[in-house]
Amino acid sequence: MSDYIIEMHNITKEFGDIVAISDGQFNLIEGEIHSLIGENGAGKSTLMKLLFGMYEPTSGDIIYKGEKLTHHTPKESIELGIGMVHQEFMLIDDLTVWENVILGSEPTKGFSIDASKAKKEIQAYIDKYKLDVDLSKKINQISVGEAQRVEIIKVLSKGADIIILDEPTAVLTPQEVDSLFVILQHLKDDGKTIVFISHKMNEVLSISDRITVMRQAKYVDTIENKNVTPTMLSQMMIGREVFLDNKKTKPKENFTEIGLKVENVWVPGDKVISKLKGVSLEVYKGEILGVAGIDGNGQLELEEAIAGLRKIEKGSVYISKNETTNKTPIEIRKKGLTYIPSNRNTRGLNRQMSIETNLVSTILDEERFSKSGLINFKAIKENALKLLEDFDIRPRNPELLTSAQSGGNAQKVVVAREISHASEVLIASQPTRGVDIGAIESIRSFVQSASENGVAVLLISADINEILSLSDRIIVMFEGEIVANLKSSEANEENLGVYMMGGKLGGFAELGEELHNEDR
Amino acid sequence: MKTDNRAFIVRILLTITISLVIGAFFILLIGESPIEAYIALVKGAFGSKLRIGTTLAGFTPLLLTSVAFAVAAKAGAFNVGVEGAVFLGALVAAYIGINWTFLPKPILLIACFLGAILTGAIWSLIPALLKVYYNVNEVTVTILANSVALYITSYFVSGPMSAGGTVSQSHPVTVTLPKIMFPSNANAGLFIALAITICLHFYLKKSKYGIKLSFTGTNSLNAEYAGMNPKKVIIYSMMISGALGGIAGCIEVLGVHGVFLNNFAVGLGTNGMLASLIVKNNLVAVPFMAFFLATLNAGAMGIQQNTNVPKSIVDTIIAIFILIATMDGIIAYVKNRRLKKTNKTEVTR
Repeated sequence: MSDYIIEMHNITKEFGDIVAISDGQFNLIEGEIHSLIGENGAGKSTLMKLLFGMYEPTSGDIIYKGEKLTHHTPKESIELGIGMVHQEFMLIDDLTVWENVILGSEPTKGFSIDASKAKKEIQAYIDKYKLDVDLSKKINQISVGEAQRVEIIKVLSKGADIIILDEPTAVLTPQEVDSLFVILQHLKDDGKTIVFISHKMNEVLSISDRITVMRQAKYVDTIENKNVTPTMLSQMMIGREVFLDNKKTKPKENFTEIGLKVENVWVPGDKVISKLKGVSLEVYKGEILGVAGIDGNGQLELEEAIAGLRKIEKGSVYISKNETTNKTPIEIRKKGLTYIPSNRNTRGLNRQMSIETNLVSTILDEERFSKSGLINFKAIKENALKLLEDFDIRPRNPELLTSAQSGGNAQKVVVAREISHASEVLIASQPTRGVDIGAIESIRSFVQSASENGVAVLLISADINEILSLSDRIIVMFEGEIVANLKSSEANEENLGVYMMGGKLGGFAELGEELHNEDR
Repeated sequence: MKTDNRAFIVRILLTITISLVIGAFFILLIGESPIEAYIALVKGAFGSKLRIGTTLAGFTPLLLTSVAFAVAAKAGAFNVGVEGAVFLGALVAAYIGINWTFLPKPILLIACFLGAILTGAIWSLIPALLKVYYNVNEVTVTILANSVALYITSYFVSGPMSAGGTVSQSHPVTVTLPKIMFPSNANAGLFIALAITICLHFYLKKSKYGIKLSFTGTNSLNAEYAGMNPKKVIIYSMMISGALGGIAGCIEVLGVHGVFLNNFAVGLGTNGMLASLIVKNNLVAVPFMAFFLATLNAGAMGIQQNTNVPKSIVDTIIAIFILIATMDGIIAYVKNRRLKKTNKTEVTR
């Protein structure tokens, strides 16, 4: 038996014509935190799903403690002690935390569920690893960070010794990331082995023992964390150096013409009476206004209200000088709105349609694409071929369904469609969420160039670095209100983070007070 | 996509075979020869000019109701109410055909069709509006509306429009569709139905509306975002669906019966729905499925007349067929099981 508890050799995985992994290598030493880093579409998630048994490799070996695994299912992986926390949480909103944890393996007493036993067992995990979750709350009452901890408890309670976390930090604030890392450290100290998937270099460098890098479906190298520098790592990831911190050296300040104006807008929410409580903002043409905030503080309502997808109860919206309050989406688009929605899978794209069709979905009415009700398929294909090239969307096959694309490339389809005909206003909401570094860099530069062409850009993002590196001005949303309005030169990771937390949440409140005092 | 289609065809053929085999088992159980029964079935459907004509006459309205269901389903609306549209369309067509004799014949014929189309479309507009603007489930509304439509027509042919005989039926219409395979009921409506199906298929493939329909049916949130107005798309698709039902009713009156016959279309809507659902609303496959169901229905009479096998055996075969055709989940399960089994054997080795 070798030193490794998991070995994956010469893995390939094909989905039809698409090669998701052409050369996958991976191994795990018991008790380590092992990061798997690479761009989206590099095959990291797929490789781990193969290990977890969700897919079957086209070829190659997966060896668990010296024994070869073939056709294993996720259920069998769990029995072997392998657990996976997925990128999208698999929790039921209307059930409580403890009910979610026991779902599928409920301890019973007679005919009923033994609730007290279940709670006691779960509480034991919470105490042991300092997971800080309230057992009796419903999932829809807890934050994203807590929900993620619930997922971790679920995995632990099924007896996992190897825990795979698929992009766990993508949805977290910097402060939440820190506390996640503390938990991971606790787990490691207890002898658990952790696979941490990420595309963020600083996270990987701060938490891992060893790092495996993948690039374009291929294994690049596995290295000890202590032997690596950020520059080396970024070169390994994309084959060249990247400069993500394209922070504007000289923020432009001579904006004159208003592109987007939102005046005292109130929007009812799905569950609460008012989700947006009197939001006002102005974006000048050529300016990028960053909207920072933790998900769920009214950003979705704001973007959808502007785009005509949600009813505005009170207040008004103007695009250039035209009022667009409660107009239909198509009317608003015709006034000059383009919009990268935060949810690309349900709003931005139709994943059952081809790339070329998705690239014209918002502009079908244009005469070059449809004349007297009939579609010009040739023009659609030409449009697609051009945009695939201009925006470097892969694979270069316009007829491919967007469901067959990686997250980053699917997002580029949305970005290409919207930015290619941006005129007055561009809303870019979470434009790089779940997207690889190479794509992040190019999407950000596309957004930047739109603003340079005189488009008013409203950039909504939970990623503070993104806000900081692109915005001319920054506002912070908290519980449906704008709680801060800063020049980009005044903003930094710390003060934004505190504003995003509303300066209220325990622990950070004091920190918030301190920073406030310092500011004064 | 091509391989998808091939797998699809293979699956349908396999399904047909399996259900015929299970049907054979039942026939054996009642002590008859399945081979003879199936020969009788084929002869019953295609054995003579009359029988072929009868099969085609049954196929015509079924084709239209299947396509009607498929169009609405493609936009994401489950229109069980095609049958109501058939009844009411037929009633209006009969009324026009009987009473508007001041019109020259060809124009009267067109008037009958237009009346039926409008009636069907407006009838289906009701559940569409309720669904889109008040979020009322269209399945519930259309199921209930079917009874309403049936009773409205029953009232008219038993009362104001009754010909006065013992059978509830109207006076004969003054304009008819030419029969094509005398003495069967097959008529020129067959060509109308086929032409409509083909045109509709290409329209949905090539038109802006067709693309919007696919967008709406597969992801209405995205369609709304893209400014396609999914509400409007659903309303139109339901109206097209109802209009097709109306045409089917019109063809039945003008082509087959020559009168409005009470209850004539019972089952047409449901069978159309089945034909469409089995092939997942695929407009290319729908006609074949409708033809297959029409064949079974026509052949069932042959079985009953020429063997001791009751007609209900054919209904059983249809039921089994539907069960198997809709067994996606089970097929996936079996595949998984097989994978697991090979896994286990490898481990023990």
